[in-house]
Formats: sequence, structure tokens, C-alpha cells
Amino acid sequence: MSKLWESKATPQLPEPVKAVNSVPLPPKNADVLTTACDYCTVACGYKVYRWPVGKDGGGKAGQNAMGVSFPHQNMNTASWASPAQHTIVSHKGKPHHVIVVPDKDATVVNPGGNHSIRGGTLAQKCFNPETRTRERLQHPMLRVNGKLTPVPWDLATDVMADISKYVIAKHGEHAWAIKMYSYQYFENTYAITRLGMTSIGTPSIAPHDKCANTNDATGLDDAGIDSFAASYQDWADCEVAFLSGVDPYETKTTLFTSWMMPGDKKFIFVTPHKTMGVAWAVSQGRGMWLPIIPGTDTVLHNAIARIIIENGWQDQEFIDKWIANQWEVDQGYGRGTRNTGWQWRTTWGNWQSDWADYQKFILGAEESKLDVAAKMTGLDAADIRKAAEWIAKPVNGKRPKASFMLEKGNYWTNNYMNTTSFVSMGLICGAGNRPGRVISRGGGHQRGMVSAGGGSGWLNPEKYPGRRKKDFNLDRWVMDGQVKFAWVFGTTWIAAMMGSQTLATKMLEQTRGNANQITSLDRAAIFEVLKKRVDSGGMVLVDSDIYPVEPINTDIADIVLPAATWGEENFTRCNSERRLRLYSKFYDAPGEAKPDWWAVQQFARKMGFDADGSYNWKDSNDVFEEAARFSRGGVLNYHPLVMEAKKKGVKAQEFLRTYGTTGIQTPIRVRDGKLVGTVRLHDPTNNWGEMEQAEVQSPFMYAFNTHSGKAILLKSPWKFGGWIQYYDAIKPRAEKGEIWVTNGRVNETWQSAFDDMRKAHLHQRWPWPPIFIHPNDAKPKGIESGDLVKVHNDTVYIQTGQPTGVKDPDLFFNNLMKEGHIQTTEGSFTAVAIVSDEMRPGVAMASFNFPGAPANAVVSAVPDPVTNNYRYKLGRGTLTKVGESPFKHNFTAMSLKPRPIV
Amino acid sequence: MTQTIQIHDHAHEADGDRLCMSRRQFLLSGGAVVTLTALPGLAQAQALKVGFNRQKIGKLSALKVGEPVAFNYPFADVRNILVKMGTPGGGGIGAGKDIVAFNQQCTHMGGPLDGTYKAQHQALGPCPLHLTTFDLTRHGMVISGHATESLPQIVLEVQGDDIYATGVMGLVYGHASNGKA
Repeated sequence: MSKLWESKATPQLPEPVKAVNSVPLPPKNADVLTTACDYCTVACGYKVYRWPVGKDGGGKAGQNAMGVSFPHQNMNTASWASPAQHTIVSHKGKPHHVIVVPDKDATVVNPGGNHSIRGGTLAQKCFNPETRTRERLQHPMLRVNGKLTPVPWDLATDVMADISKYVIAKHGEHAWAIKMYSYQYFENTYAITRLGMTSIGTPSIAPHDKCANTNDATGLDDAGIDSFAASYQDWADCEVAFLSGVDPYETKTTLFTSWMMPGDKKFIFVTPHKTMGVAWAVSQGRGMWLPIIPGTDTVLHNAIARIIIENGWQDQEFIDKWIANQWEVDQGYGRGTRNTGWQWRTTWGNWQSDWADYQKFILGAEESKLDVAAKMTGLDAADIRKAAEWIAKPVNGKRPKASFMLEKGNYWTNNYMNTTSFVSMGLICGAGNRPGRVISRGGGHQRGMVSAGGGSGWLNPEKYPGRRKKDFNLDRWVMDGQVKFAWVFGTTWIAAMMGSQTLATKMLEQTRGNANQITSLDRAAIFEVLKKRVDSGGMVLVDSDIYPVEPINTDIADIVLPAATWGEENFTRCNSERRLRLYSKFYDAPGEAKPDWWAVQQFARKMGFDADGSYNWKDSNDVFEEAARFSRGGVLNYHPLVMEAKKKGVKAQEFLRTYGTTGIQTPIRVRDGKLVGTVRLHDPTNNWGEMEQAEVQSPFMYAFNTHSGKAILLKSPWKFGGWIQYYDAIKPRAEKGEIWVTNGRVNETWQSAFDDMRKAHLHQRWPWPPIFIHPNDAKPKGIESGDLVKVHNDTVYIQTGQPTGVKDPDLFFNNLMKEGHIQTTEGSFTAVAIVSDEMRPGVAMASFNFPGAPANAVVSAVPDPVTNNYRYKLGRGTLTKVGESPFKHNFTAMSLKPRPIV
Repeated sequence: MTQTIQIHDHAHEADGDRLCMSRRQFLLSGGAVVTLTALPGLAQAQALKVGFNRQKIGKLSALKVGEPVAFNYPFADVRNILVKMGTPGGGGIGAGKDIVAFNQQCTHMGGPLDGTYKAQHQALGPCPLHLTTFDLTRHGMVISGHATESLPQIVLEVQGDDIYATGVMGLVYGHASNGKA
């Protein structure tokens, strides 16, 4: 392999932000549309006021559409528009002011118009050539003689169809791949999966955040709990929140500030980073900070479970009623006991348990002893005991109402065992299906996936032991040179995956590094070149996005397609409490940008997939209505809403519009002729018996999602080879001076900063990604806040090939290494130091997926053999000061203050 | 990796009919402020305060490091603090360029920041409503939290021992325009 790819971006001082001292007000007759935030999983409700330039309203309540007199002192209600909430857009070809403000009339999600800094600056995301949004992709482009050249949509999709037909015929459908977001609206995800899964039937599809189309919090799934079972009201109603690998203040803002902060709820934060939510809760006497050593959560969960069991604090009544016994664990509905994802993954029988067996396991495990666990997790024994008391010890005979939230700090360190041990700990406390007593993910992206289905996972050469079906690992398929054509939808792909420098290098070799490059705009000539490309070990890559993204479309892609996004099309999706809303179109997409469903439609027609009448959509509403039946039977079921709209003779999206920012929680049901949302999954009060209409009776609504309807307690043996061999191999090595280099998102940045770096206010805040380092780790290296620090890991492991498991340990790390399925490479990135005791010593935290500094470069790309998902947060490396950043001695960009100041 | 430090051009921009000193201009005119302290003169002072009143708000000799003083500006009901931080900051005046003034209403949802100055970090906050913190060494930039604007900074001038407020950079919470009452 050639020299590893490195980003060309460098840290630069941004233009200082111009202070604005006024904001125009919408006139009384301004158009008002509802939408929800494009970013985090909470999806606050917003209103868009739109009016023609030159027709501003006045400052008195009767003179503007906001109905508010200015100036005012109304606190804590969204009755003010900040300058960042205003921009000028094109609507039907004419310049219009828009103000995008949180909905002050909201009664759900963000009551009163609470909001985050991300959503609060949504207006700055809208295309306006006066701002850096001018960098939007506006025309389809083809890389000719190495340079991206604007071409018509027609030629771009002709070229794609020509080579796709050739690739599928000659190399097979599995050589034709899709890398896609799982969240960017029902209309797009349905169209993309219809193309990939139904029409082409390729198994080579992976979502934005995983190498394979596999589970997230897999232990929850296997216990029978949907990851999004809870409602925000549950997080408000609980008395104690156990928060594993997450500070919702940072990443799920209004869920924390509107629903969790008020009252006297107690918080237990398990994370090596003391962020603002943690520091605040501790300062109020309402919080505990458990700064855990990365990857050891399983030990903590089992130690807490042991304390609970030894003291008899478990919720016995709940356990007797809701925990599967030995026979129920293996129960099937005539499908056999081995025909579930759970059984495929766990054939070797380490995990499943019942209450008696689980107690025996917990009490017999060396690692669950308090003193042993304290040492392994790096926590105080007294704190572990206190956490157990908070979540389980009855006070005056009354059990505390405890809820359990997990996110990526949990399931992206030890994917399977952290989730199995977590869910078991929650279940014995009586959580899982009652108000204020829930076990759920906090959520990352919103829930915007409706899959058309028809998965072809059986084509995957890689199998679980027992030769059971395993989801396709797309990264590995690329690394093996098996992908001949890939279409990427709205994801950075590379920086979001592991061993990212190595992946980028390989993809560059297969595209730009191949001798066969396009040199003309002649369709036939292009086809000839690309045929030679794919037949000589190369790959053709198409990228659909809204901005230039390094390196996937700036350096690698042959074809770049401009996408229309939030605000530029009517879209729909759910948030993390399954709340479905319409995201209104309110302005013109730039240039020739089109929504992804439209691009898919053009391509599908050229492939001839429309011969049976498919892909015959006139607008996004047509896609929304068609996709509805594929949501039936799932937790995002909105089919009854579409049925009701048809009855009323209105478009389903327009019917949804009448629900405003309130929307309706899926699965939607019908009672007394009215649509009714679902607050909580698995809750027995959801059992209504017979359905009124053409609905699917889904047992997961009122029971746990298992064959028996009872939850399954799962054991989590720390020494399990599929985990411990990997953990031992990737831990920081003292002899090399390495420390843990974990990664995550800071509050003020959304994902890859694709919008934030074009929002002046947010770009000056984070012009370059930070790395938070404890003074004990920084001082010996001479590192001060504001210095540029290079993080280097000289041993990054990448799994290769398509090994088939026959016996249990075949796919464990040591055997993969022995069999030659592990490639050893390296990785590095450079970030700006913030030296602060907010970190646990020995653990640094870098910003993940930020352009120019992919922190995933120092993490190994060897998936959890049980779940086929990466352990993203377990990076390591040495820290070296390479100089001072331009931000160290300046007054305009990048505050270097610690994050938690209370 | 190469490290680039951007050099700014010194063009001043016209900025509408109101305040008019953009944050950018303000930064660039940092030297001019120093000049003013050395050469007090009405002509130069006026050049910096278009659209705002000039109001005496304190004395250099009376300020103690880390102890903020409250004042109202540009309107009687708009609360600000004047603070000598003990470390230089953007727009800072005085010999140490460490005296700054900021509005005290959170630019997220109007929460009161009164009494939240953290001397150790030269920060204002956390806001009692949603915990936003602001870096007073960097023009009121958000450190952590949810305000969609930096905290409005009060433009200061020094004349002898007297400190004057001469303008506001940024829109004060609850206002559609800083110029209208």
C-alpha cells in the first residue's frame, strides 16, 4: 500500500464574526411554516416566518407575525429572533427574508421554544450566496482529466447506468455497493433501499455509522427491548437516571434541559469526560461522576448487579412477572429455537440466562466483587456502592424510580457485553416497560429509515460460527477490492469508520490511482474507460452530498451529485421518541440540486427498473405514501395516517402538516376512528385487544420483543474471548507512552461540522477540532491549551478477508491474527489541545469525524465478532506537541476554556 | 502539516446606519483605542461611536481584578458588567488590555447572568436557565452551551482615569434593534 492518505486541511483563523445589531421582523401577513430541527435525535419543533424582502413588519405586537412587542424581557420563551436565526433565501425565484425560530407554542419536545445552539442557528444553514453556504454543490459533476466538471443530470445518470449494468452482469450484484445515511428522511431512505435491496438486490449496503447493516445496542435487542422504547416524559418522570456513555446536555440538549434538569432527579454519569451536564449535576448535589476506564463498563454493571442481589434490592415482583424462565428463553413460535438474530449471534450459549442462573453467574464472577471491580474500572468502591444504592435501594419500603440511558460511550466501546450487562442491570431494578422506568438509547441521529426490504445478507461469504448468516462488512469488501461500483449518500464514509487513513488510501488507489481515468465527456468513451477500470481491480465511486467533503468527493469520487436537503423539499421522519412530523419545504434548492429520492428515480429509470410501474413518483408525497406500507409492523409504523389521509382525500404529507410541530408518535394506531400515537413501547397498558382497522397487532407494543413476551436476562462474562483478546491487543501500551484517545462530539458541533463550519458563529467557536487532555498527561509533554498536538498510534489493526466461523473462537482476535486476517497499519491526526482536569487522567477525548483531523485514524477496524459492529471509542496513541495553533494567542476564535465551568 | 496564520486586511466596512462598528472593525481598531487613551480628543472619540451615546461608566483606578461592576447601557434597563480580568482580552482597555464590559442577559433565552462572573476563567455563566458559559477574553464567545450569539460586548474608551461606554457589538436579547427603545 502506498503512503497513507493525509488531510490537506490546516488550522486557520476564521474571519472574525461581524457583530449585527438588528434583525428584521416578519410582517403580520408573513408565511408561517412548521418544521423540526435537522440535527440531533431530539428534533425540536421550529417555525419558519417567510416574507418578501422590503416588506418588514414593525416592532409592536400588532405589526409583526410573531405577535410580540420589542424590546421585551420575556425570559425562557422563544419570542426573540437572534441575528443567527435570520437569513435571506430564494423562494420561487424571489428573495425572501426567513426567520427560523424555535416554536414558542410547542407543548412537546421543546416546550416554550427551548433549543440548542445547533438548531438555534438553522437559518444559517440555508443557502445564501452572501455566506459560506455558497460552497454548496449545485451541479452534477464528472471528474474529467482529474478535475470535477459540471455536466447535465442526464449524462451523469447515463454514465452511472452504463457501468452499473456492466458491473452487475460481469461481477455480480454484490460488487455494486451503497453507503448511505440511515436517517435523512423517510422519502430518501425508502427510495435508496428500494433501489439497492429490492431492484438490484445487493448485500453490499452499509449505513453511515457502521461497517455492516447490523444492530446498534445489540444487547437491548437481544433482551427484547427496543432502543427507542421510551418517551421524553419517562426521562422527566424517573427519580434517578443512570446515564452510560452519554451526557444528554451535550448531545441531546432539550431532552436534558427541558425534561431532566427541572425537579430533584438524581443523575449518575458514567463517562471519562466531565462535561457540562455532569459538572452541573454534581454541583447541585444531584449527580455522581463515574470517570470509568474506557471499555470496562461491563465490570461496573456486574458489580452493581452483585450489590443489588447481595442486598436483595432487586424488584422481585417485576422479575417474577417479566423475566423469561429457562423454558421461555428458548421458546419459539414454531420457528425453531435457533431462528433469530439473537440465536445466530450467540450460538455458543454464553449469554442467555434466567433469574436463578443470572444470580449464580453474578455471585460467582471474580470481576463483580466490589474491590476487584473498583480496580478494573478505575472507580472508587464507595462510588460504585452509592450508585447501586441510588438506583435500587428501597427507601421506607419504596423503590426508587430508576431509568437507564445508554449511548455510544457504552455500546461503541464493548458493543455486545456493555449492552447485555447494562440491560440486565436495568431489568433487575424493574425498568423496561413502565412510566419513568425505562431502558433506552438516548439516540444519535433522528429515526428516518424506512427500508423497502429484500435484504440479501445470505450472499455474504462471511458467516457466524455454525455458518449462520452475518451482515455484510462493506469496509472490508472495499479493502479486499471486491467493490466495483459504489454510490455514497450524504455520509463522509471514511472519517466515520475505523482505521480511516488506511481506508482512504485504499479507496484512492482503486479510483484515482487506477490507470483508467475519464478524459472526455463522450458517453461511449467514458463507458469504455470505466469498464477497463473495474476489470483491472478498480472501482467507480458516485457521491451524493450537499457540500464538498474531503476526501470522499473532493479526491475520490468520479461523479458528484448535488442533493437538496432540509427546507428545500417536504420531508418526514421521527425523532427519538418516535414522533413523526413534516419538515416543510420553504425555499428553493440551490442550482440543480435535487433530493436523493429524485436522483435514485432518474438512475432507476435508466436501469429499466421502472418497467413494472415502479419509481413513478411525482413528488416526495408519493414516496411518503408508498413507503408507508413498509413501515407496518415496525416501531415507525405510520400506515394508519396515510390510510386516514386517503379517506379524507388529501395528500398524506399535507395531513401530517396539520399536526404541526406536535406531530404524532409512532407506531400510530386507530381508536374510535381517531389516530392515536404510542407513548411507550412494551407497556402492558398498550394492549387494546382487537384492532379497529387494517393494522398489525404487534406484541412488542405491550410486551417485550421476544418470543415469550418476557425479557431475557443476559450474562456478560468479562473473559469472553471475542472481547478480551481484542481489548488486550488494543489497550494503551505503557512502554510506548500511549494513553487512551477516545472520541466524541462536542455540543456546539453537529457531526462532521458540514453546516457548522459554514455558520460564522459556530465556526469561530470550533475552527479546528479539540483534544481534551488532563494536565497529568499534558505537562510531561510540554503541552498547553492552544498547542497543536499530534496523536499517533503505530499499531492499528484492520481485519481483512472473509473468514467463516465454524467453532466458537474462530473469529476471535487471536485466531484472526494467527490465520492472517489482521493487517497492521498506523494512524495519526492533529488537534488543538485543551488542557483541563475535566478528563480522567490517562484518557484524552478528541472530536470525532471533524474535517482535517479524523480521530478514528487511531482506532482499529476489527468488529465485535458477536455484533459485527466496530468498537469506535477505543483509540490509543502517543501525544506530541508539534507547535502552537493560530488559536493560542488570539481573541477571535476558539475559546480554550474548560467546558464545565459551574 | 503546515500551520498558517492568517493576516487580516485592514479594510473598514460601512455597516448600515446603526452601530456600525463591526466586531471585525473593533478588533482592527484595537490600536486606535490605545491611541485614544494617550491622546484624548473628541474628534477621534466620535469616529468610534456612531449611533450610540457616550456614557461614563467607571474609573480605572476604582477597578479591582476579578470584581465586576454593574452598569446600564445603552438603555436604562439593559444591564451590563464592567470587569478587570487580570488577563488581556479582545477589546480590552487599560494598560493590561484586560478591562472589558459585556451585557448580562443570555443570548439564548434571556436568562440573567448577573452575579455569575467566574474570575478564575474570565467567564460569565453558567446561565441559570440552560447553563451557557461565555468567554470574556474572546469577545463573549460561547464556551459551552446554547446561545446563538456571542454575548454583546460594550465598546469602551478611556479618557484619563474615566471609562466610557461608546457602543454595543451585537444585538441585546429581547431587542429587534439596539437603537430603538
